[in-house]
Amino acid sequence: MDKPSAHEYDALVVGSGIAGLEAALNLADQDFKVAIVERDASIGGKMIRLSKVFPTLDCASCITTPKMAAAAHHPNITIYTYCELRSLERQDNRLVARLRQKPRYVSVEKCIGCRQCEYQCPVMVPDAEQGGFAARKAIYIPFSNAIPQKALIDADHCILCGRCAKVCPTKAVNYLEMPEDLVLQSDAAIIATGYEVTPLANKPQYGNGSLANVITAMQMERLLAPHGPYNRLLRPSDGKQPDAVAYIQCAASRDQTVGIPYCSRVCCMYTIKQAMLISGALPLADVTVYYIDIRAFGKGYEQFFQNAQAMGIQFIKAKPAIAGNAVDGSVVLRYEAQEEDGRIVTAQHDLVVLSLGLVPGWSPQGVCSLACGADGFIKTPQPKIAPSLTELPGVFVAGAAAGPKDIVDSIAEAGGAAMEAANYLATRRRGGSALVAAA
Amino acid sequence: MSSRVNPQIRDELTAFGFKDGDKCYSCSTCTVTCPLATPENPFPRKIVRYLQLGLQDKLRQSPEPWLCYYCGDCSTQCPRGADPGETMMAARRYLTALYDWTGFAKKFYMSEKFELMAVGYVALLVGLIMLMFNTGQPDWQHADVNSLWPARYVELADLAMAAVLSFLLLSNVWRAYRAVLGELRGKIPMRLYLGQLKELLVNFLTQKKFAGCSDRMPWIIHLLIMTGYTTVFILVVVLLNGLTFDNLRFQRGWPEYPLLHPIRLLGYYATVAILLGTSYALWGRWKRTKPAYQHSHPTDWMFLILLQLTTLTGIFIHFGRLLDWPLFTYALYVIHMMVAVPMLLLEVPFAKWAHLAYRPLILYLLKVKEVYQAQNTAS
Repeated sequence: MDKPSAHEYDALVVGSGIAGLEAALNLADQDFKVAIVERDASIGGKMIRLSKVFPTLDCASCITTPKMAAAAHHPNITIYTYCELRSLERQDNRLVARLRQKPRYVSVEKCIGCRQCEYQCPVMVPDAEQGGFAARKAIYIPFSNAIPQKALIDADHCILCGRCAKVCPTKAVNYLEMPEDLVLQSDAAIIATGYEVTPLANKPQYGNGSLANVITAMQMERLLAPHGPYNRLLRPSDGKQPDAVAYIQCAASRDQTVGIPYCSRVCCMYTIKQAMLISGALPLADVTVYYIDIRAFGKGYEQFFQNAQAMGIQFIKAKPAIAGNAVDGSVVLRYEAQEEDGRIVTAQHDLVVLSLGLVPGWSPQGVCSLACGADGFIKTPQPKIAPSLTELPGVFVAGAAAGPKDIVDSIAEAGGAAMEAANYLATRRRGGSALVAAA
Repeated sequence: MSSRVNPQIRDELTAFGFKDGDKCYSCSTCTVTCPLATPENPFPRKIVRYLQLGLQDKLRQSPEPWLCYYCGDCSTQCPRGADPGETMMAARRYLTALYDWTGFAKKFYMSEKFELMAVGYVALLVGLIMLMFNTGQPDWQHADVNSLWPARYVELADLAMAAVLSFLLLSNVWRAYRAVLGELRGKIPMRLYLGQLKELLVNFLTQKKFAGCSDRMPWIIHLLIMTGYTTVFILVVVLLNGLTFDNLRFQRGWPEYPLLHPIRLLGYYATVAILLGTSYALWGRWKRTKPAYQHSHPTDWMFLILLQLTTLTGIFIHFGRLLDWPLFTYALYVIHMMVAVPMLLLEVPFAKWAHLAYRPLILYLLKVKEVYQAQNTAS
């Protein structure tokens, strides 16, 4: 393999969700050269996949896409998508990041995003970007507002029939593409690797993910999204329009049995948001939220919660267990009526949504010497007074990488992290390598 | 209805095995995943809450602790590690103490030292009595226990002990009945009580509710211990002197019955059942193989060890008789009694053994109550 090519930047941003984009834009606007490293084929992170956001009910893609476009077109920002960060370490007083560019089997330079290949491809694969409810092809552009609008081949499912290569007007398809190693150098780095949703294994009371019409809140985001799998709200098992939808809060948060004893912070609010959206989409449907506590702590959140109650969304204090599916495919729940006489009540809902919690999206283990807390999120030694500082000088953290966080806090923290990084870079430019040594 | 809070209850409960109940945040995962909880009698969260708040009277009136057979599903699935299964166990121990009017059970549960001393004193006393009261003319030719302690006198002692035990246990059972049925007690007509007696018997003999747990092994083990124990109880108390029939006599002189004699076969069944059951339980508690075996109260150990020792000494007496070793047999007989009597005298009315009465009783009373309420709503 050729010698890895080197690229020099002032700052490196790992992750291109809303926190990463915000941090990168803040630095780039101050004329720092920024590289964004993203492991997905598109930038945008979790937020671009959401339907709407709380408590304003703004359309998520309408307010994320401009940020994505701004970053993509910014003269000071270079974006590395579909790249795996293999190591990040300090060498000769600079940060050195080694990336592996995963093969897209489609030349990014040549691809014009015309989707001819996608239309021709005969292979259908469940589309993870649509919660698995719709199909995509084995050669595909990740989603309609992905950046870059470039195709890639899913090598696991491609049958090498050659149709895409034949139809491509720019001859961009290259089945023989190999992974490419890149070396990036920078003075500072911001970790904005975000979160993933908790897995459902080891939760027998929720069917371990095997029951029909029991879906995750992320799947519900897709069902509610304007460009979702069905273009309207239907339940997956039989396409029925649900008349009764239930949410189970803390389905895998504040729960030692899955190793997540902490509160995931966003589930109460996204549930309330989704419940409102369902009420809007299906005005006659009953929406029930089973909760232990409602944590509506942010600006405008409590009012948002009260609005939901006023809209007729029912909140029941209980944590149910799922007894199974009824004959008609609806989901049978058992809950203890704590607000009444404490008896066990059996209830049926057409669709049940599990409000899963948040776990770290990335682990620095084997990549760099960043420390993590007991919860697995990046450790912040001064969480109160300098929440973006990590234990490594010149490496900062923003957004959910440091702990579960909503969009508002992620953006605020990304701004903070960018400011910390800018200060750090400016000090270095003034000849402050002493600072690095001191830190 | 007002409830009185006993703020001291928490200090006491620790001694009864209440440990992590405070961690509960009342999500009720335990209750809704419990295969035995019913709409009318939900548990364990309710009981955990009573204990957290110190609602002693509410607890006393609760039948729920006796409906739980501790499969441990709740403890496995508890998101807080609050161990609701163990809290239910502690509640059963506490109820045993609350039902007991003598106050002896409470001391027995709260102090390991007291428990050991009580067992030791009774054992010593039994040993002394056996050494002082015997015929003084042992048969040194053959191993014949009757030559020293004739079956008809041992039978009298048995009956006396049974009377004392019955009095203590039944008086506590009466208190349990009053607590659980409360004001309904006087309203339910006698014919309903009589009509449902079958429920008492069936639950005692089959423990069918236990079979509703997701893990059925403990039920089988429990059935082994219970049937083995009941068999042996009938043998040594009812049939010790064979109700004057010579070939029904359990404590029999030399020679032993032929191998396939029913009394001998029953004895063998009881021995094997109890040994299997107690060994499984002791091993499980030692290795903590199941949620229910994670925490062992001193009374749990005492009960299993006494039961196993009684059985083991019984086996050796049997060997002594088959080998026809008089001295060995007589000495072991004394030791056997020194283990068996304290177990019965202390455990049956005051400790873990008492559940053999409380569990079927509570199920029976709930059935009576259910039938009564069904009739009331019908009429």
